[in-house]
Amino acid sequence: MMTLKSLERKLQKADAKQAKLYLFCNFVSLLLITAYSAMMFSPTVLLVLPEGGDSRKQMIAIFVLALFGCVVFTIYASGLFFRKKAKQLGTLMALGASGRKLLPGLLGEVFALSAISSLLGIVAGFPFVWILWNSFKLITDSNQMALTLDFKCLYLSAVFFVIVVGFSCLNAYRYLKRTNIMEVMHEEHRNEPVREMGRWCGPVGIGLVLGGAVLGYMGPVVCHRVLNYYAPAWLNILYAPVFVGLYMIMLHTVVNGWRSRKKHPYKNLIARSMMKFQGKQTVNNLLVSTVLIAGSAFGIFYLPMMSVDRIMEIKSRPYDYYYHYRADQEIPGEEEISALAAQYGLAIADFRQVPYLSLGMDGISEVEDGNSFHYERMPLKSEGRFLSQDSYERITGEKISVQKGDYMAISNTDETGLYYLEDTATVLTNMVTFQSLPTNFGGYAHYDFLMDSLGYYVLNNEDYETIAAGLSKEWMGQTAVFNIDGQDSYEFSQDFFYTLVSSFGPECEQPSYYDRVKKYYDNQMGEVYWGDTTRMTKISYSEPNTSDFRMYWKYMPKSRILDKTEFNRTFAVFLMMFLFIAIICSLAAVIIEYTRCMTIVLNNRYVFEDLKRLGASPGFIRKEIKGQAGPVFKIPALVGMTAMYLLYALLMFGNDGKITTNEIGGLAVCLLVLLGIGGVYYLVYRYAVKNMCRQIFE
Amino acid sequence: MLYVKNLHKSYQSGNKSYNVLKGINLSVADQEFVAVMGPSGSGKSTLLNCISCYIPFEQGTITLGEQELRGLDENSLAKIRNEKLGFVFQDFMLLDGLTMRENILVPRIIWGEADKQAEKLADQLLALFDIEHIASKYPADVSGGERQRTAVARSLINQPLLILADEPTGNLDSKSSRAVIESFENARNKLGASIFMVTHDSFAASFCDRVILLKDGTVYDTLEAEPGHKEERRGAFQDRLLGAIREMSNMEDSL
Repeated sequence: MMTLKSLERKLQKADAKQAKLYLFCNFVSLLLITAYSAMMFSPTVLLVLPEGGDSRKQMIAIFVLALFGCVVFTIYASGLFFRKKAKQLGTLMALGASGRKLLPGLLGEVFALSAISSLLGIVAGFPFVWILWNSFKLITDSNQMALTLDFKCLYLSAVFFVIVVGFSCLNAYRYLKRTNIMEVMHEEHRNEPVREMGRWCGPVGIGLVLGGAVLGYMGPVVCHRVLNYYAPAWLNILYAPVFVGLYMIMLHTVVNGWRSRKKHPYKNLIARSMMKFQGKQTVNNLLVSTVLIAGSAFGIFYLPMMSVDRIMEIKSRPYDYYYHYRADQEIPGEEEISALAAQYGLAIADFRQVPYLSLGMDGISEVEDGNSFHYERMPLKSEGRFLSQDSYERITGEKISVQKGDYMAISNTDETGLYYLEDTATVLTNMVTFQSLPTNFGGYAHYDFLMDSLGYYVLNNEDYETIAAGLSKEWMGQTAVFNIDGQDSYEFSQDFFYTLVSSFGPECEQPSYYDRVKKYYDNQMGEVYWGDTTRMTKISYSEPNTSDFRMYWKYMPKSRILDKTEFNRTFAVFLMMFLFIAIICSLAAVIIEYTRCMTIVLNNRYVFEDLKRLGASPGFIRKEIKGQAGPVFKIPALVGMTAMYLLYALLMFGNDGKITTNEIGGLAVCLLVLLGIGGVYYLVYRYAVKNMCRQIFE
Repeated sequence: MLYVKNLHKSYQSGNKSYNVLKGINLSVADQEFVAVMGPSGSGKSTLLNCISCYIPFEQGTITLGEQELRGLDENSLAKIRNEKLGFVFQDFMLLDGLTMRENILVPRIIWGEADKQAEKLADQLLALFDIEHIASKYPADVSGGERQRTAVARSLINQPLLILADEPTGNLDSKSSRAVIESFENARNKLGASIFMVTHDSFAASFCDRVILLKDGTVYDTLEAEPGHKEERRGAFQDRLLGAIREMSNMEDSL
């Protein structure tokens, strides 16, 4: 005896194919979101990506993009499922099944499908992360790469789970509430044409993307520089035209196409019209894929930009080794280092050591007034390391002329990173005797090797002697450089580094941004210096291999061979996290595009059948299939990658008002990487076309 | 049995409203086989969909048996569709995952459950329409004519007051069309069914007792078959029908 329940069960069994697609889409979305949030909450990543830092913000921003993509994808999958289900629902409703009668069965089915697929996705997210991360460890490994997970990430997955299941159930309810049964029955073949817009739509879209990018970038800059106001987060809304522009580009692609059809008005007519009449779905899919590919490009750019810059910087160093230290520290000198090198069969050459002074500098500072700020001259703003003119010439081998009463800041040739240097000082202060020396900024001396976040300055020899009088060793230091005669040894460089670290006293266990002059000033003003609070990240001699230590220790030496060899290891978590982001976003985009291609076949099978009946050859049908699948893959790849490439170049330019040689090198490598990724997309496109053809011709 | 009075229905497209039915009046008597014909856009299918309560209408009344359909809630309408109406669609609308026998039983399953008695009736219908041999096959495995005869059998399983058929021969060849129309005749003659059929096909319409011609949303003419020998009567009726349709078309051209 057959009941409605057993009938529904039988129908569900028969619909297994469409259910599989729905299960797959939900599964993939939850897997990607869980994997991403697992990494985002992972202590492994959080320890390395500084709180409030750009990297962490970028990671969160791309997560929002990925989340948006996955939400749209699951809504699309749910819509697709119901479109296929509509004929069945409509028929049952037409034969007298009320919504109330069908609701329990449909809700049960939809709930089970969405909940099971989502739960499986969440569960699979963790092994996925583990496999991916451990594959990365095959490329590069460090102690910091040991993966630990914080299951707080499940909160995000849970929210997404509720969205997926809730939306599916809501969709089920909405279908059964519909009163026009004919519409429900013919839902599957209902076209969703987009509103026709003129050919202006594409170029205007491009203009909006470019304009939005500039506006979004310049908005906070103007806010800061002109209005003296810290840009609030909501100002990011200025990027909104980018999304409107992207939508218009996609719309133009679907409705008008980019080529003029005056000469060949009937070229690709069928493929174009098929796309146009399912325009809403197509545009949504293209848009989501574009955003995800842009996110993926952003993630992947991190690697070449960081690596190329670093590699080029290391390559251009005039000395193999550099280190500096406070004069009150017992640090190995030329003799000890020579002895250490000898243990590795090495000899050092070109050893040069010069003294420097650590002086207090006044300068103009931004003083916060809530969300805004004003500029104020601080009598003791920061600490600077000052070389005498002679010392500079000795270490660089270059002549320099500093006028008496002036000071010069040592910058790199491209004059990037000038924000580390103080160019508004008018008084230098001896921090022991508190004698002051009036001064003027005399411009920049260029020597890339001595450019760092602590800042080196050069004084006229006479001024140097004057201000040095009475300075204690604590406020004096030595800068040393040397080469290895012949081939250097990695083992020696490691030994040198660890020996150096162990020679420093606890008073030097400080990050580079710990400023003793500022601390003195704050204490004089009765305030606690922020470096003495928990707000400033601490570094520890016990963890000399962490990226925090290598990046931020105040006395971190430079070693060509060590920095080159350990670059991957030091920045492994950084690099791998962004590689992970790129993979997740690319994977999501490719799956969405592939699914779209499969649904084109599913929804338009009858069109292809009609074409066959009209005498279309397999070659013609294959061409039409390519005409459908092509834009689904090509347009998001082209637009997403180009937009992100230009945005990245804009960011590079915006950092310091120029694009440096290293950045040009990085951007060139990014271009090659994009070509490589484009190749992978092309392979997936070929695979999708092959599968589409197989389904049509089988 | 069925009374339609002053039925109005319009469609909205953008800001424009299109009146499709402009005050239709008609009736179908018990055990009567009635067809509605008319050119494309005359409102045939819309009329059928309104009677089926598949789409809402703005004005007028539809009475089935003693029951006024307007104003009923969705559950009551569903009950009427299930118990008092039977449906045959142009594209069959059989459920792909069910066998032909199970498809026939669907309205009964929706009603409550398909008991032994219902299964027996389904078997009788399979025999009546000469489709016993495909009882355990699936829709994808049988011909269009067989699918449509199955749909006719399905429409009868709950012994409704009226069968509503929308272009039932529209997707069929002439042989299959004849078999389907004969199924309707059998249903009327042997089971006492009343049938209201929308069609383009003058051959199919010539089997009916009465044909209503629709034009521009109004009833243009009603033609009744004259008594006589079945095949002779049908031939003459088809000629009359074609004449009336020609006249209606000429009038349209002259306008």
